[in-house]
Amino acid sequence: MKAGEACEILEYDGVLAEPYKVRLMEFGFHPGETVICLQAPSFGAPKVYRVSNTVFSLDDEVASHVRVKSGA
Amino acid sequence: MPDGRRKTLLIGSPNSGKSLLFNRLTGMSHKVANFPGITVDVGMGAMQALPDRQLVDFPGTYSLQAISAEEQVAVVQFERALEDPDVEQVLCVIDATRLEKSLYFTLQVIRDCQRSGKPVMVLANMIDVLDRHDLPFDTVGLSDALGVAVLAVSARSGKGVAALVEQLKTPDGIPVSAKFAGTPDELLRGEAHQLARRFGPKGDILLKSQTRLDSFFLHSVTGGVSFFFIMYLLFQSIFTWSAPAMDAVESLLGALAGFVVPMIGNQVVADFTSDALFGGIGAFLVFVPQIFVLTFIIGLLEDSGYMARAALICHKPLRVFGLTGKSFIPMLSGVACAIPAIYAARAIDSPRKRLLTYMAIPLMPCSARLPVYTLLIAAFIPAGTALGGLVGWQGLAMFCIYFFGMLVGLLVTGIVSRMSADHYTDLPFVLELPPYRVPGIVPIVRNSWNRSKHFITKAGKIIFAVTLVIWVLGYFPNYGANLGESWLGTLGHWIEPVFEPIGLDWRYGVAIFTSFLAREVFVGTLGTIFGIEGADENMVPLVQHIQASDLAIGSGLALLVFFAIALQCVSTAAILAKESESRSLTVKMLVGYFVLAYVASILVYQVAGLFS
Repeated sequence: MKAGEACEILEYDGVLAEPYKVRLMEFGFHPGETVICLQAPSFGAPKVYRVSNTVFSLDDEVASHVRVKSGA
Repeated sequence: MPDGRRKTLLIGSPNSGKSLLFNRLTGMSHKVANFPGITVDVGMGAMQALPDRQLVDFPGTYSLQAISAEEQVAVVQFERALEDPDVEQVLCVIDATRLEKSLYFTLQVIRDCQRSGKPVMVLANMIDVLDRHDLPFDTVGLSDALGVAVLAVSARSGKGVAALVEQLKTPDGIPVSAKFAGTPDELLRGEAHQLARRFGPKGDILLKSQTRLDSFFLHSVTGGVSFFFIMYLLFQSIFTWSAPAMDAVESLLGALAGFVVPMIGNQVVADFTSDALFGGIGAFLVFVPQIFVLTFIIGLLEDSGYMARAALICHKPLRVFGLTGKSFIPMLSGVACAIPAIYAARAIDSPRKRLLTYMAIPLMPCSARLPVYTLLIAAFIPAGTALGGLVGWQGLAMFCIYFFGMLVGLLVTGIVSRMSADHYTDLPFVLELPPYRVPGIVPIVRNSWNRSKHFITKAGKIIFAVTLVIWVLGYFPNYGANLGESWLGTLGHWIEPVFEPIGLDWRYGVAIFTSFLAREVFVGTLGTIFGIEGADENMVPLVQHIQASDLAIGSGLALLVFFAIALQCVSTAAILAKESESRSLTVKMLVGYFVLAYVASILVYQVAGLFS
């Protein structure tokens, strides 16, 4: 995702460890929820996402396991 | 554990303002800050309004399904506490501005309390933030949906706290229902999501200023520049802001010694009072202002919300060395003191990265190194400035030696992470970014004062005791007539060959030897050995003495390098062994860092010799 883009979460792939999948859902990253990428810093720093009223930083290593539909 | 005292449990998600509420209710001063994971142990204190009632503060956790070590502490202790018959009720703190992250945990707490028959009350904290933006919060609706009492409070402004105390006076009045007692986690998660949508603040007004500030502090260019500027200011201020207070402490102790010592008739007692008593006290008291300033600035960064951004900025570079952005907070805490830093590393959920962070922390330039650096820099680096007074050479030298310690720490973890087999399941990086806020000065000052007090009572005792022993060893058997023939001199000559390759004589050898108890002892010991009256409370004569001696600049630089690397702190070693649950790791680190420090200092001395 690029900064300013919004997406809808579709599902998690089967590779992400179960505790992390659960933790992301506890944070609000539920399937069907809208996620907005607020910052995409250069040099590979983790991107900053907004879900509900909370802001999280997710390493691409984690984000790559979340399937999304762009243009939410 | 049941002990007959009436107890109220305080639990909540990270960064929900729980510790601030604990402090408000108990009058205590637990450390509070604006990033997740600041409370790493269970704390307890009597409530001011209800002195017969103990309030038990648990580390924040996102869920009762623990991932990190700090969450494990909270979950295990919480479940044990629910079995305690002395526990009368549970207070679950949620962040009213960000319900999504709090409600799943809240529902788990309510369910477990209902299973244990404990009354629970939900405290919707940070209600002042919603008030400020004219955003309503439906406590009645949420209370009906949860089946428990919900009270809107603000730990910061105090709103709702009096009503909370009134409620706590009658714990039997808090209803106990069984609404969620049989609900599994999966259903609770869905329920929390629905409730957050229904009762959470609408719109994005709360995030507007946060997004604006993040676009500056996390920007590829301005983010990096501001990060280095903030870090540079931190190190410069340690010198400049604390200098007047350090001068005042020195003057006061000097004046006191000048008043008391002439009144003592017996020469031995007069020498003891002047050199051992006033010297011993001055050896650690003079550094209290620097420790206060350092802790204060770190507190400002934490409470403003910047620290979490700094962790994000550092994540990628730290990954190169096998660490994570979450290692940054413990490592920066290590700049104040390694002990709280080791505790703070509990918040790192990856066991492997936590272990690597433990290895890096002792190499962070802690406040105990500050007196040694101050002395050596003052003795070997000129006090002039450059760029129209913008850059002081001594401040720059301090920045460089601080940076050197950090760099060595990173290199060590980088090498170890590449050489060691991965025995652990590594966990990826997810970090909550808290909203920015104006730091609360009073709690930060209180915390800085506590840190200074801790230094005086813990490190101070050791320094004072060592100074006394050193004085006795140096004074007898010839009553201070000849230090070289004293007991201390004999010991020093015995270990002198070890430090000869760095160009140091027996006096520096003794000072290094005693500093393995605590680094800052080095200055006090050296002052006592040189026999400079009042040397410990006023560093200037000691600096002049070192400058006037034949000590080569290479030896001074080698000493700086030695102190930057060696693990010379018994308290740190003890806490490290406890937290890592590995004595062998602690022993390996003690020996490994000494050997590395020794070899590096010899190299520096030899290389400096080529240029002189």
